[in-house]
Parts: sequence; structure tokens; C-alpha cells
Amino acid sequence: MSTDVLDNPTATPVPVKAPAPSPPGPGAHDAEVFSFWPRHNAAIYSALEGKHTHIEASDDPLEARMILNLGPQHPATHGVLRVVCRLDGETIEANLLDIGYLHRGVEKLAEGKTYHEFLPYTDRTDYLQPYANNVAWCLAVEKVAGIEVPERALWLRTMLCELARLQAHLLWIGTMVMDAGALSVFLWTFKYREELYTIMDEVAGARFTVSHSRVGGLASDVTPAAMGMIRRFCDDFVVQLADWKKLLNRNRIWIDRNVGIGVVTKEQALVQGFTGPNLRGSGIPHDIRIFEPYLKYDAVDFDVPMRTEGDSLARYFVRVEEMEESVKIIRQCLEKVPEGPIRNDNAKAALPSKDEVYYSMEGMIHDFLQTDVGVAPPAGAESYHAIEGAKGEIGIYIVADGTGSPWRIKMNSPSFKNLQGLEFLMDGAMVADTVVLIGSIDPVMGDADK
Amino acid sequence: MSELPDQTTPRNSAIAPQLDPAEQTQTLRFLYSPRTALAGELDRPNPHAKKTTFQPEVVAALQSRFGESVLLVTLYAGEHTVYLTRDVIVDACTFLRDEHGFDYLGDLATVDRFTEDDRFEILYNLVSVVGKKRLRLKVRVDEDDAVLPTIIGVFPAANWHEREAWDMMGIRFEGHPDLRRVFMPEDFAYFPARKDFPTLGIPGSLPLPPRVSDGPVQLDPYPAAHGEKPQD
Repeated sequence: MSTDVLDNPTATPVPVKAPAPSPPGPGAHDAEVFSFWPRHNAAIYSALEGKHTHIEASDDPLEARMILNLGPQHPATHGVLRVVCRLDGETIEANLLDIGYLHRGVEKLAEGKTYHEFLPYTDRTDYLQPYANNVAWCLAVEKVAGIEVPERALWLRTMLCELARLQAHLLWIGTMVMDAGALSVFLWTFKYREELYTIMDEVAGARFTVSHSRVGGLASDVTPAAMGMIRRFCDDFVVQLADWKKLLNRNRIWIDRNVGIGVVTKEQALVQGFTGPNLRGSGIPHDIRIFEPYLKYDAVDFDVPMRTEGDSLARYFVRVEEMEESVKIIRQCLEKVPEGPIRNDNAKAALPSKDEVYYSMEGMIHDFLQTDVGVAPPAGAESYHAIEGAKGEIGIYIVADGTGSPWRIKMNSPSFKNLQGLEFLMDGAMVADTVVLIGSIDPVMGDADK
Repeated sequence: MSELPDQTTPRNSAIAPQLDPAEQTQTLRFLYSPRTALAGELDRPNPHAKKTTFQPEVVAALQSRFGESVLLVTLYAGEHTVYLTRDVIVDACTFLRDEHGFDYLGDLATVDRFTEDDRFEILYNLVSVVGKKRLRLKVRVDEDDAVLPTIIGVFPAANWHEREAWDMMGIRFEGHPDLRRVFMPEDFAYFPARKDFPTLGIPGSLPLPPRVSDGPVQLDPYPAAHGEKPQD
């Protein structure tokens, strides 16, 4: 690092620590050769060496101790997760997770964007359920700015959020079963994920990064054709899901691979900060849809699946049952969604409709102001809004400074919290189970790394 | 929301200056300049307010237990925020966990206010899963003394959150067993979420791979932006 950079008066440098005398981990002999972040790796290995765990270290007569690096480029880590394990034979004595390989600093980026401009970035945080992230962002902005959303938009958002949950869970079940060694389920679930993409394409005009929700409502109405597609999807999907359950629920290999693996007790789950299905798999019925009802979740009838075993299999059952509940919610939404406007009619709160923009001067001016400045919550306003995504609580905390862009946002990402729990869960596990455990926790690195 | 009682707690003018009703016409002003709240705007019922975040009983209990250490209580969008002094934060968390059932750490966030005094804010979002309660605690610290006691002893889930606060904002937590950076590599010398960190990054702050396999290491992430031609 050059000294002129460290002399920069505006930034506060970290006090330089003395370099570790001899990094105990692999790659130590390469110390003279250029390596990218030598202090980073030295810090991980020394932290791993000193990590206090509940696993008792034994003598090492067979010289079975070693340090294993799994990832960041490894298909079973679901992205760019790096697991550094200290092994004793096949047991993981202690492990540390190294995340941040997908860190893009979206929170910082938001500070330079208007509330509307930031919306497409939320597609890319948890990219397995973009719609839920859009809604989480819009609800957070609507809360801090006090903007009302019309009924129809609330119902449609509820329905599309549940489709997003199916999207995420379908990818999870496919990859999870593939991690455990079976390929066929992956192919089947991806067929239905593909159908969901087609539906999203019809609804939003984009298959993957939908960006369909807007502050104050939705970008466009959901057409009757799309409603028909969703209805047909539900009918097909419940039949398929029943088939998958027939294959997996009593499958001896699948159960042997998962039962009793990665057990988290009720108390541990709370204390370690698990969220979402991982919390509910350990016997805590905590679901933001019930805890703080948002959108129309207080007007639909659904159950929150819960298991008390706390192992990998319990988390599997919770997610599969959640998919059934999602279909139930989607069907109720299809029944109950009222006719009406899809966006707030207040020109200071939401984008005007294209008809207004093209055919009236006021509409044009409002469109310009909304695009340029957008909503401006008063200075000093701050609020936190959370929704229940497929992975858990997606919370967004916004501090407003009275301009069109936030002063500071903080995303409370479920994968970040679940990965922290994974670190706890993997101490004492077997190496062969790591892949199943990562799958059962269901992290998305785009979400955890922000 | 109609179920919420009248929000009568007065807001502190230092946090959100309000205009008096005579100046309410300012809505028509051009919005490039920051907008201050209209009179009554901050206390208006919020369509997205939740029952869980409105906790006058818990706030009163905190005030009677910690007295002077509760600096301020604010309410916006039906959310109570309790400002505490730094020295009681661990006790307050323990008190809330043991006496009021706040058994889950929802989130830990940091804000850079970019002010002379009390530059950084640290927020604790505590949740009572059974009691259906959510409360935000806030602590403010100065830039030259951005140190807090860790709450890992009360909520072990604070581990990574505190590491994130250190990594992004440079706030140290005393007693944290493993305060490493969580997103950025350990070799990185800055705190990117601070307001004075440039969005384009600091040239040379992270080494990049050589442009050719045996070429020199590229120290400037944005050579073109700084007037250099990229090496081939």
C-alpha cells in the first residue's frame, strides 16, 4: 500500500497490526510470492486457531489435523461462500465462514440514488426472489414517507411475493437434493421455476430481475392472461409437489442423509439469530407475516409450518409445507383481488399513470418530478419495515434527510443471519455433511454480502 | 393505523426540526433543497405502522430503571426509539431480555450522521418473539471515541453484526472475541460506509490482479478515471 493513500486525511486508517509471525494455514510457504490479501488470510487462520468451540480437541497421534478451505469457488457453496475448517480426521473441530466475495455495497449506493432509482438494485440482493425484495424496499419507503397503497396493489403484491417464495424454495429444493446426491429433482423443480419466470415475464416484462413494484403501488396491472397463467400454474404445481413429496418424504436415502444432521435446539436457534424456515424448523413459530402483518396477510388464511426437531430434515419439511401454504395464499389472492387503481393517486407520492403523462401537462410535470427527485420523506424521519422472504426476515431501515435520496439505509438480510448460525452449526459436524448443512440453511450470497 | 393510541410523545427539535403551522405552504417549494417536516407530519398515523413497534410500557420501564441514562424517546411511524448512554447499553439489553422477554436480536445497524459531536449512531433492533414486541435502542458515540461495549454476552447473535459495524463504519466493540472485518478483506484500511468515503473508491486501496499473467500488479482500480492508460 502506498503511503500517500494512508496520508489521506479524510479516511481513518485501521491501526496496523503486527503481521502474524508465521501463518499456520496452508499457503504459508508462498509468503514471499505475491498473494492478494495476505493479512486477511493470516487473520482468518489465527482466528481459527484461537476459536473457542464446544468441541473438545483430542490428541493427534495419527496426525489427522488439517485445515480445509472449501470455496469460494465451489458449486456446493451456493455462490461464493468460503468455509475454512479445522479438521480432526473427518470431524470439523472449528470453522469460520469468510463472506464478502459478492459485496457490492448496495447500502452505500443507495445514498446516491433516489428512492425509485434504487429499486432495481434490490432485485440483485437476494436474486432468487427478486419480487420479494422489491416489495420489501417499496414498503420500507412507503413507511418512512407515510404513503398509502391501494387495495388492489396490496393484493397483487401479496400474490406475487408468494410466487417469489415458490421461486426461491424451488431452487432450494432442487439444489439441496442435488447436494445430497440426487439429480432428478433439480431438473423437475427447474421446469417449474421456468414456468414462474414465464409468469413474471408476463406480469413485469422481465423474467428474472422484475423491478415491478413501485413506491405507492405497482408499475403495471396484472392482466387477466397473467392471472390465468398463475391459476394454471397453481393447479399443475400442487400435483407435482405431491409427487415430489411421495419421492422424498419417505425416501430412505434422503432421510438418512438429513435426519439428526445439524441439530439446533429451540434456545440455540433464537440466541444464534437464525431466521425464517431455519427458526421454524427448530420449533419457534416466528413469521413476520403473523408477527407484523403487512400487505394482505391478515386477510388470507394460511398456516405457518413448524417442526420441533431442529435438524436438516425438519428444515426440509418446513420449506416443503411452506410451498403448499404459498399455493393456498395465491389461490385466495386470485379469488379476492379487487378491481381498482394499482398506484397511489397522489402525485407527490407515486408516479402518475402513462395516460396522465402523455395527455396532460400536470401529469408530465409530476412524472418529471417523480423521476428526478421522487418521494422526499421529511428530514429526521426514520423507520424499519420487515417482510418475511423465503429465507427469513428481510428488513430495511431507512434514515431520511429530507431529499429525494436516503441518508442511510441498512438492509437486514436473512442470509447474513443464517450464515452466522451456520458457523455455529458446523462446529462438530462431519466434513461429508457440510454440503448438506449449507444446503439446509439455504443462504444466498448476494443477500448476505449486500 | 387506527388501533394505535394517540401519539402524544413530544419530538425533540434537535432531531427533526418542525415548521410552525403558519409556514405550512412550503409543500409547493422546489424539492431539491431538503424538506423539513410540516407541523404534525411526524406524528401523523402511518398506514404501515405495526402494533409491535409501539411499546409505551417498555419505554416507561426503561425510563424508571435507567433514569438519567435514557436521553430521549422518540416516536415516528408508530416506532419507539430509546436513546441511551453508552455505559448502560449492555445492562439495558440484559434488562429487556430478562424482564420483558426481548429474546431475539433482530438487527444491529449504524448511521454516520456526519456531525461534529455524536457522529455515529448504533441501533439495536430487539424483538420479543412470544410477546410480539419490537424496540429500537440507540447509542450515539463521538468519532474520536467510537467504542462501545459488546452485547455478545447478552445476544450471541450480535457477533457478525458487530463485525459488520466495525467493517463498514469503524466502530469498535470492546470485549468482542473476534472483531475481524466481515465483508472487506483485512488488508483494507478504510471504512466504506462512512460519509467521507468516496463512492468511486480510493485508488490503490486494494490490489487487483495483473492485466497479463506475469505482468505487474495493478494497484489502481480505476486507472482510466485517474488519467492513466491501462496496461496491456
